[in-house]
Amino acid sequence: MNLYLVKRILALIPVLFVVSVVIFLIIHITPGDPASVILGESATAQDVEALRQQLGLDLPIYQQYMNWITDVLRGDLGESYFMKESVSEAIFSHLQPTLSLAILAQIIALLIAIPLGITAALRRGTAADQTVMGFSLLGMAIPSFLLALFLILLVGVKLQWLPVAGYKPLEAGLWNHLKYLILPAVSLGAIQSALITRMTRSSMLEVLNMNYMKAARSKGVKERQLIYKHALRNAFLPILTVIGQTFGGLVTGAVVTETIFNIPGIGQLIINSVERRDYEVIQGVVLFVTCVYVFINLIVDILYGVIDPRVRLERK
Amino acid sequence: MKASRIVRTLAIWMVAASLAGCGAQTAQTGQNEGAQPPGQGQAQPEPAKEPQAATGGELKIAYQAQPPTLDPHVTTSQASATIGRNVFETLVTADSKYHVQPMLAESWEQSEDGTTITFRLRQGIRFHNGKEMTADDVAASMNRWIQISSAGKDHFTGAVFEAKDAQTAVLTLKQPTATAMAILAYGGGNYPAIMPKELIDQADPKGVKEYVGTGPFQFKEWKQDQQIHLTKYADYQARSEAADGLAGKREARVDDIYFIFTPDSSTQVAGLLSGEFDIAADVSYDSVQQLESNPEIKVDVAPTGMLNLYFNKKKGLFANEKARQAIAAGIDAESILIAAYTQEKYYELNHNMMMYYQIGQWSSENGRESYNQNNPEKAKQLLGEAGYNGEEIVIMTSRDYEDMYNGAVAFQQQLKNLGVKSKLEVYDWPTFTELRNDENKFDILVITNTPKPEPSSLAFMRKDFPGWTNSPELDELLVKFRGAPNLEKAMSVYDDIQKWFYEYVPVVKIGDGNSISSSQKSVEGMTWLDGLILWNVSNAK
Repeated sequence: MNLYLVKRILALIPVLFVVSVVIFLIIHITPGDPASVILGESATAQDVEALRQQLGLDLPIYQQYMNWITDVLRGDLGESYFMKESVSEAIFSHLQPTLSLAILAQIIALLIAIPLGITAALRRGTAADQTVMGFSLLGMAIPSFLLALFLILLVGVKLQWLPVAGYKPLEAGLWNHLKYLILPAVSLGAIQSALITRMTRSSMLEVLNMNYMKAARSKGVKERQLIYKHALRNAFLPILTVIGQTFGGLVTGAVVTETIFNIPGIGQLIINSVERRDYEVIQGVVLFVTCVYVFINLIVDILYGVIDPRVRLERK
Repeated sequence: MKASRIVRTLAIWMVAASLAGCGAQTAQTGQNEGAQPPGQGQAQPEPAKEPQAATGGELKIAYQAQPPTLDPHVTTSQASATIGRNVFETLVTADSKYHVQPMLAESWEQSEDGTTITFRLRQGIRFHNGKEMTADDVAASMNRWIQISSAGKDHFTGAVFEAKDAQTAVLTLKQPTATAMAILAYGGGNYPAIMPKELIDQADPKGVKEYVGTGPFQFKEWKQDQQIHLTKYADYQARSEAADGLAGKREARVDDIYFIFTPDSSTQVAGLLSGEFDIAADVSYDSVQQLESNPEIKVDVAPTGMLNLYFNKKKGLFANEKARQAIAAGIDAESILIAAYTQEKYYELNHNMMMYYQIGQWSSENGRESYNQNNPEKAKQLLGEAGYNGEEIVIMTSRDYEDMYNGAVAFQQQLKNLGVKSKLEVYDWPTFTELRNDENKFDILVITNTPKPEPSSLAFMRKDFPGWTNSPELDELLVKFRGAPNLEKAMSVYDDIQKWFYEYVPVVKIGDGNSISSSQKSVEGMTWLDGLILWNVSNAK
């Protein structure tokens, strides 16, 4: 297992290298640079050129890459051109809202998806099944921003139950923290649940027809235990994969949702940094996001083993 | 089974918690660094202890754009000026008619030959860090502004500020400059803020390290991409004159101002309707109806700028004066303005180069008949004379500003009616500002220009601004204009400059635009001059 982990982590290196080169080229070839954004809307080309020189942006591109990558290898992701903090500080300060939102959204998605998926599978072909599948189809078709705007209008503006946008950190109190996150989490979670519901249903259906299920039932295992212990656990691997993927998507930036609800997370950090051409931050965040994806996949792999001992045995 | 479930839950939560924990910690130190610049902390009394009559409360302002910095010497950003003007003040300032009025200066005196201006400073003015403002701070600030700001470099080349004594600063100009005082009084982007000398000395090319000024509000905290928090400055020394434009008495009538960065315009409107924001500084034209139907909300109109078509005069069809005159002749300004600003009350037809509210100071009858001609026949004839033979021209604009984009679309339609083939290229703002510097990339730019205090500051007067105006006639006029002994004399040259404007046609002026600002009815006293003014604004909820 340890060897496996080391291998997986080593495999990261070429991935990160390629990502770093590609992202560096893409942003530096895109027109516009931090100097012109700092100087504002009516600055002249000469002023911009002068500041470019002072910021070292006039160096040849390979030299800029070398400077940056040597710093990165030393563990220094660089300084933001706009924020008075380093790139790693910026990532971590923007990670907290994103993580809170992702976890809450994932919890909501699972609370909706797993019971619905199981119900649909158990009552296959009935009206209940068709209703659930209908809703999940709807959920996959509706873009999350539409649901977000609808929720803002209904819950935020009409009923005024929850704030329409913004963010308060956990230090401001649990309820203060949560009340800003409920609407965005619901709008994300409801959409995510659609996919997970479908996955749960189909995966459960497959397992329910297995011979060992019949055997367990004829042995007299209680129905509840039968479903949750025998069926769900066996059906869980594909579901976990989907959960891992959706969670990866949530952590690495629910860009649109964060923008609509004004949540200062990773998604907004990327968008804002692209808009102001904050090169160092864009590069740092993309590297970070790559790591997170790989990391989540790794955790999902490890969890396979936890849930299904057969996977563990094979790896030994 | 039980054990493994716990292990699983723990594993997930440990990962999450460790990441979240790191996040929380760093976020906190980050905030603290931004929150309390050294030397600004404990010595300051809390605003709440201020005995003076104050209505108190707070203003939460939904603000579209986060400025790159609040240091106005570095950036020309208008967002930076609107926020920073509450913190920093200038020697002189402008009243609502753009007349120069004193602010940190008590008085000033111009020498006979017009080359030296002596400023006497007000006494007992303290920076937010408690330090008394002296002529040394003024000289350091103003010299940096002259050296690095666009306005300073353009209009004050070779000029120097010196501290004569603690309360006297002397500006020595290379040549008499009639527009000097008007430019020093400007309160929009790139305004000449006075800051402590120490901070000026420590500044790097990206700006000063701390925001310490003399204004009615002090800088408290900048949470990146979230908000800027200003608090009332208890020791503020207000002037005694009545408030007018940026001039006169400034009073902080709320304890806290929050500029909350809200890029999405539907979120701004929703936050206003639900009562979370007190002001939305610049809402989309489409949302007016929704806002006006709510009895708790009021909708205000604030002047923004001038919608102009910039010709590439270096290369291509519009290097030819006749071709530029053709476009000017063929344009129906009103229908472009309707497309850009949706309703009549949000724009003004104005043939003057300057804004409609500057009429009286900067206006001339010259060019009235050449503005908004809507004469396609004349246009086609002029295009023929210019030798246009059906080639495709490139119109470039940015969608980051809805008036520019919508105006450009309507303009392209009109070009079609004039028989001109065109292609509309739309970019995000940073891309646009880079591409527009390349004369091979465009023929016409559609831009909204911010208002300026005097005509020689207008962007199209500059040789180096995209469009590249290059006219010996203008050069002569500008020498005459700037070299006039005072502004009154200079104004007589304005007539001729406007005549030149309609003959040479560096840009086609479409008209003046307004933006929409919306607020709760409880917010009182908002005014605008080159951006929103927030002192003397109360919010009694």
